Amino acid sequence: VTRFPTPGPGHVRRGRVLGRVVRRLAGALVVAWLVISVTFAMLAAIPADPARAIVGPRASAETLARARAAYCLDRDLATRYGCFVARIARGDLGESFREGRPVATILGERAWPTAQLLLAALALQLGLGIPLGVFAARRDRATGSAGSAMSAWPARLADLGLLLAQSAPAFLVGTLAIYLVAYRLGWLPTSGYGTPGWDRLRHLVLPALTQAAAGIAFYAGLVRAGVREAIGADFVRTARAKGLSARAATWRHALPVALGPVIALAGLDLGAMLSGTVLVEAVFAWPGLGREVMMAVLSLDLPVILGAVLLGALAVTVGNLVADLARAALDPRVRE
Amino acid sequence: VVSARPPAPVALAAALAIAIGTACRPPDDVPRIRAGVRATPRDGGTLRLAFNQGLATLDPSVANDDVSAAILAPLYDTLLAFEPMDPDRPDAPGAGLRLVPQLAERWEVSADGLRYRFVLRADATYRDGTPIVAADLRFALERALRRPDSPFAAFLADLVGADAVIAGAAPTCAGLATPDPRTLELTLARPNPALPQILTMKFATPIRADAPPDQTGDAPLTSGPFEVARWDHGVAITLRRNPHYRDAGRAHLDQLVLLEQVPRDTAFLMFLRGELEACAPLTAPDLQWLLAQPAWRPQLRRGHGMNAFGARMNVRVPPFDDRRVRQALNLAIDKDHLRRVLGGDATIAHGILPPGLLGRDDALAPYPHDPARARALLGAAGYPRGLDLTFATFTDDEAERVAASMVADLAVVGVRVRIETMAMAPWQEAIRLPDGPPFSIATWTEDYPDPTSFLDVRFHGRAISAEGSSNDSFFADPALDDLLDRARGELDVDRRVALYHQAERLLFDAAPWIWGYHRDQVEVVQPTVRGYAPHPVWGRDFTTAWLDPAEDAP
Repeated sequence: VTRFPTPGPGHVRRGRVLGRVVRRLAGALVVAWLVISVTFAMLAAIPADPARAIVGPRASAETLARARAAYCLDRDLATRYGCFVARIARGDLGESFREGRPVATILGERAWPTAQLLLAALALQLGLGIPLGVFAARRDRATGSAGSAMSAWPARLADLGLLLAQSAPAFLVGTLAIYLVAYRLGWLPTSGYGTPGWDRLRHLVLPALTQAAAGIAFYAGLVRAGVREAIGADFVRTARAKGLSARAATWRHALPVALGPVIALAGLDLGAMLSGTVLVEAVFAWPGLGREVMMAVLSLDLPVILGAVLLGALAVTVGNLVADLARAALDPRVRE
Repeated sequence: VVSARPPAPVALAAALAIAIGTACRPPDDVPRIRAGVRATPRDGGTLRLAFNQGLATLDPSVANDDVSAAILAPLYDTLLAFEPMDPDRPDAPGAGLRLVPQLAERWEVSADGLRYRFVLRADATYRDGTPIVAADLRFALERALRRPDSPFAAFLADLVGADAVIAGAAPTCAGLATPDPRTLELTLARPNPALPQILTMKFATPIRADAPPDQTGDAPLTSGPFEVARWDHGVAITLRRNPHYRDAGRAHLDQLVLLEQVPRDTAFLMFLRGELEACAPLTAPDLQWLLAQPAWRPQLRRGHGMNAFGARMNVRVPPFDDRRVRQALNLAIDKDHLRRVLGGDATIAHGILPPGLLGRDDALAPYPHDPARARALLGAAGYPRGLDLTFATFTDDEAERVAASMVADLAVVGVRVRIETMAMAPWQEAIRLPDGPPFSIATWTEDYPDPTSFLDVRFHGRAISAEGSSNDSFFADPALDDLLDRARGELDVDRRVALYHQAERLLFDAAPWIWGYHRDQVEVVQPTVRGYAPHPVWGRDFTTAWLDPAEDAP
């Protein structure tokens, strides 16, 4: 089966992809630099003594002086900026004044639990959202957009469910899930991180579902609209005319085109998902970055907050890059 | 528009699933865990607890919060300690506040109160079995003086030569001596009868001079009945019995598992499922529910708390610079209602000193609830039409309930209050500043159970500073300062108590706070948990608790 438009020779395509990767990497560096600069501006704009904010309210005059020297706070703004960028380039994010440990160590410990949560949530969002969207689109197609009264109520119910799933806050969904699934039914653990392996997986189910709830609904809606549109497009009609079944035409031709925006948005969504982990991890006592940030905000642990903002921004940049490349691989028009 | 038929089958199926799911489970109005009937303590078992905060550090020289207080208690021994709670008599006056020797075999004080001499027990060892020597105690005290991030240096400021160590001018403290490996002598520049209480704090636990400079490691060299088995930061810390501990009667449990940062609601469900042996603090609805269940009600454990709650006013800012306004606000509050809001587990306050503490005048009656007199006082102070105020509080279930109750009472006397809610840490910072919120909720828990840890810290003129006052009412009265200074160095207990009674009366009339209440600690435990009551100083200290499960009952 030929896709439209016809792709060029292999070496030309590879060159284009490589150039794209390089361009995007350069873009990612610019974004990282912007994030670092904005963080610096935030630190400079704090009305209180930034050294005091860094070392905490109980620190002595000596500690304060040490922090001032370490962050070059006694110098002019340009030197301070240079200092700040150099420290981060060395991977030195300072020390948490709540725990007295390096911020890089703390964030390193917290990154893996959050990565597991986000990957599981992403898998659920796409794994459930895409098939749901395709089925909804095929049903729309079969019943016509208005539909009869008989077929309208499941669609309306589905719409209502999607709306509720998208708008219910994580702490509500999470608490309800804990009450019903873990406490009442006793199927899964109430909260916590568990031990690696099967136990970890059991602990992961509820937080990942809570984290994914809104996303499943969102992606199902997106795929539904995309597939419905693509099914009517010329290239799908051509595929059908060449003898492909409606099912095969939908899955093999309409879906890849509809997936483009899904993947692009999944990359963008990483930022929103990261901020969503603050609530989900707190409710489920999941020892990730979100809960660490909440704790840091509540105790004004500025070095941890700054480090987490930087890490989050970098993660989103990388996520976008990956999404961009995946999209190019799926949809020939993007490659051109 | 398509007619909307009720989505009967799906809704029905969902409702049915939920109903079956909930009905198949036994209701939790009775505990799931059954207990035995032993009369004497049994060794063994794992006791699991959850804290809604995280554990920041195990370093005794810097750890300074509720969670570390509970976790450090079974890990580190000190020269002196407070007696463990008698679970059968938690309400006895002064329960848990009597000093007992722990690492010390005996101790004596000179007649002038300036020299303390402690002799260590011969069998005092660390968890690895190596002996504890007096030099380790000296090292720990000097470490607390020297470390810039130690919040405890001020407590040792009466030692001869302490100032020089704090300032970094001297490496060792002249007021500390170790004439032999088992003797520690402390020499003070001025008498401080609270020194024995101060030495129960965990910063005074022995630290070997050759220990790593940073004791924040995950397996510190501890000396208490339990030791750290494993710490997964942010997840849980597991303590196990110290095999070298000299007193087997002080440690019955095999393990203590302490989960970090579990939200209160989640912790309560875990407790009901039998995944935790004890649960605290309880939210008001959970406590009400437990009180209504005949099978759960006997499982509540109560203990006094060394704390005070209320509202503080910056007495330098109008309208709070007028004593009549402050007294009127005290008269306006219905403290019985406040007590009901707290589920009854509180003592109404007439001042900052909690029941059971030395120096508290139990004969002093709290301000009555008298809205008419409050209105008259406000009128006399020039506010016949009432007042508009802003009240700063922090995000906490209980603080917000208390604030709402007080605001409703104040509205009755014409004081219209807008509540401003902040996160705990910024709130704490803001109220310490002279130009911070002048009217806010107030909380205080002692560092060590002595009046100096309440009155001197919160109301002495010395405790006011522009960068941040622990005296956050900015109340300065030379008469009070004089009373507190005399009481602080008074060696005769009766005279000392009399001075504090005078100080309490002076503060009662001056009313820099709306005196609220002293909060009891309430915890619910499974029927298997024996030998436990919340400790007034250590809080959730399960060191001497034991488990009595049903399955292998005799």
